[in-house]
Amino acid sequence: MRSALLIALALAASSLPLQAQAQPPQIVIGSKVFTESVVLGELATQMLDASGVGAVHRRELGGTTVLWSAMLRGDVDCYPEYTGTLRTEIFANESLPSDAALRAKLAERRVWASPSLGFNNTYVLGMRKDVAQQHSIARISDLAAHPDLRLGFSNEFIDRADGWRGVRAAYALPQTNVSGMAHDLAYRALAAGSIDVTDLYSTDAEIAYYDLLALVDDRKFFPTYDALFVCRAQVADRAKQVLSRLEGSIDAATMARLNARAKLEGVPESQVAQQFARERFGEHTTVSDETRAQRIWHRTREHLGMVAFSLGAAILIALPLGVLAFRRPAFAKVTFAIADVLQTIPALALLVFLIPWLGIGYAPAIVALFLYSLLPILRNTHAGLADIPRDLRESAAALGLSAAAQLRHVELPLAARSILAGIKTAAVIKIGTATLGALIGAGGYGQPILTGIRLDDVGLILEGAIPAAVLALIAQALFGSLERRWVKAH
Amino acid sequence: MIEFDDVAHQYEHVASVRGVTLQVRDATTTALIGPSGCGKSTLLKLAVGLIWPSRGTVSVEGEVVTPANVRGIRHRIGYVIQSGGLFPHLTIADNVTLAARHLRRDRDWIARRVPELLELVQLPPDVLARYPIDLSGGQRQRVSLMRALMLDPDVLLLDEPLGALDPMVRHGLQEELRKLFASLRKCVLLVTHDLAEAAFFSEHIVLMREGLIVQQGSYRDLIDRPADDFVRAFLRAQRAIPDTDA
Repeated sequence: MRSALLIALALAASSLPLQAQAQPPQIVIGSKVFTESVVLGELATQMLDASGVGAVHRRELGGTTVLWSAMLRGDVDCYPEYTGTLRTEIFANESLPSDAALRAKLAERRVWASPSLGFNNTYVLGMRKDVAQQHSIARISDLAAHPDLRLGFSNEFIDRADGWRGVRAAYALPQTNVSGMAHDLAYRALAAGSIDVTDLYSTDAEIAYYDLLALVDDRKFFPTYDALFVCRAQVADRAKQVLSRLEGSIDAATMARLNARAKLEGVPESQVAQQFARERFGEHTTVSDETRAQRIWHRTREHLGMVAFSLGAAILIALPLGVLAFRRPAFAKVTFAIADVLQTIPALALLVFLIPWLGIGYAPAIVALFLYSLLPILRNTHAGLADIPRDLRESAAALGLSAAAQLRHVELPLAARSILAGIKTAAVIKIGTATLGALIGAGGYGQPILTGIRLDDVGLILEGAIPAAVLALIAQALFGSLERRWVKAH
Repeated sequence: MIEFDDVAHQYEHVASVRGVTLQVRDATTTALIGPSGCGKSTLLKLAVGLIWPSRGTVSVEGEVVTPANVRGIRHRIGYVIQSGGLFPHLTIADNVTLAARHLRRDRDWIARRVPELLELVQLPPDVLARYPIDLSGGQRQRVSLMRALMLDPDVLLLDEPLGALDPMVRHGLQEELRKLFASLRKCVLLVTHDLAEAAFFSEHIVLMREGLIVQQGSYRDLIDRPADDFVRAFLRAQRAIPDTDA
């Protein structure tokens, strides 16, 4: 058992340099997990770099809540945002009709906002043109006459006050068949005919590609979503000047074209941004793209780091807790109740809860994975000890061994098979769950999966999914051989 | 010497021993006998401090057993149970020497002690490197006895040590053990449900029923002067009592 611990710790230690490597340059630009945000984040990063203000891009960090709280904490300095989102999501309880009022409110929160970039990326509801024609639908209010239509919305849209809830109320829509899905999957569902209506962004490249009809917002429900950058007020003035240069430089058509380049033509966002910067501003920005092998190695180290650290910590905590729970049944009840509850919190929710305390990146991912692996290790330690025949426990006590010696020489070795199985379960589950770490900036194999889903690029998805599966198999094999070495057949 | 002074014990509200006063003298073998659940094994567990009396005291070699001194007292007691209680993940050598190593006894002393014990229980040295699962039931009980004797205890507590063995093996071991106890001259308390075995090992038999001592004395005393109908019934229930004129 001690050797297992040592190996886990050594694994954890070997990934330490990762932490040290992540020295932040002056400006950290964040982006949300959709193509437009990534392109804009990349553009800002390159422009800042070219003007001598060092910048790094932490891409695809998550949704509005993640980015906003990361910025307030200072994990991210700036990120692309939309005025409509700020009004309805961040300042939901305030009335900020004018841009001036919004900027004043932002200033109160010590947030600086760049001038508008030049386009309004608002929500629209879209349908396939043929389906719309068949039902004679051109405006959102026309939907009211067709209660049987199947609606599929991005999960964020379903929950937002300015999303489905608001539209439904404003237009008194009767549809009840509403499902939530990832934004990028909604297009495919729409094209395949498994849903009839979805939410789109007005600069989405897919509107033209899939030949969709954007329904007219005839009651002017959707607010304006002018794109801009928000930054912590402390950010250097030089950086604010650079971001201000982007004012009015991108109109909706241009943005849709950039999105299409990235999303439909598969050009990396960094190159899309680089080309735009050169054409529009004559800036020759630099892009450092990793090779596929470098990328996979990088992701592997991030992923292993998350798994090893959280597993090592979970063993150090859950194993003693399991022993204590075995010795004190009253304590066991409480501990198991807490561990059970932790296990039922959805992974993504847990990650987001942790952001206000731990920021984004490695720390919350490791803490979440740590919490998830407590239960299997705790339970198996307890079960392994409880399964030791009473005769053997009494024999150990009757020999006059101290409690510690009974544990070390008799109880833990006899429970080793069960404990090891618990650690194995925790490790294998963790390798899968760690892919969610990418959603909050921890990288790992989830990063290519996330990007792959966004770009509908199966190759990229496999670039994350295959190594994750291989890693899980390796972990299985490793624990199998540990078990053969340390657990005597008896 | 073990002394039970008006000892009672309850298992979750059910009294298993209800007031036992008994002295087990040095250099004698005392047999505890009675039907299942009469409390005979409970007395052994009380003596080795695996459970605690709800009333009365248990003393070993003049010392009252308490949670504070129980570990020291256990080092002066050898405890053998029906299943042997050998640790399956340890070799025979490790099983036998575990307590001595834990107490940091001198290595040379341990190295001398093990062959002595092998000879005493008549096992070949090659068993030392093996695991309990590789041994026969009789061999396992011999090892269990070795482990119990390792620290040269003053007291031996044997809880049906031969109960799981087949009759032939059991018969042979009975002979050996009786000689062994005679030569060791320790305070031995043996639990059995077999009157013949009790009579074979012991001059002093203690018959229990429902947590109380019904009668104690020699086998002859029990036969000649049964205290009550239960004793008579218990004696009648035993068949094929062998010659006991050892």
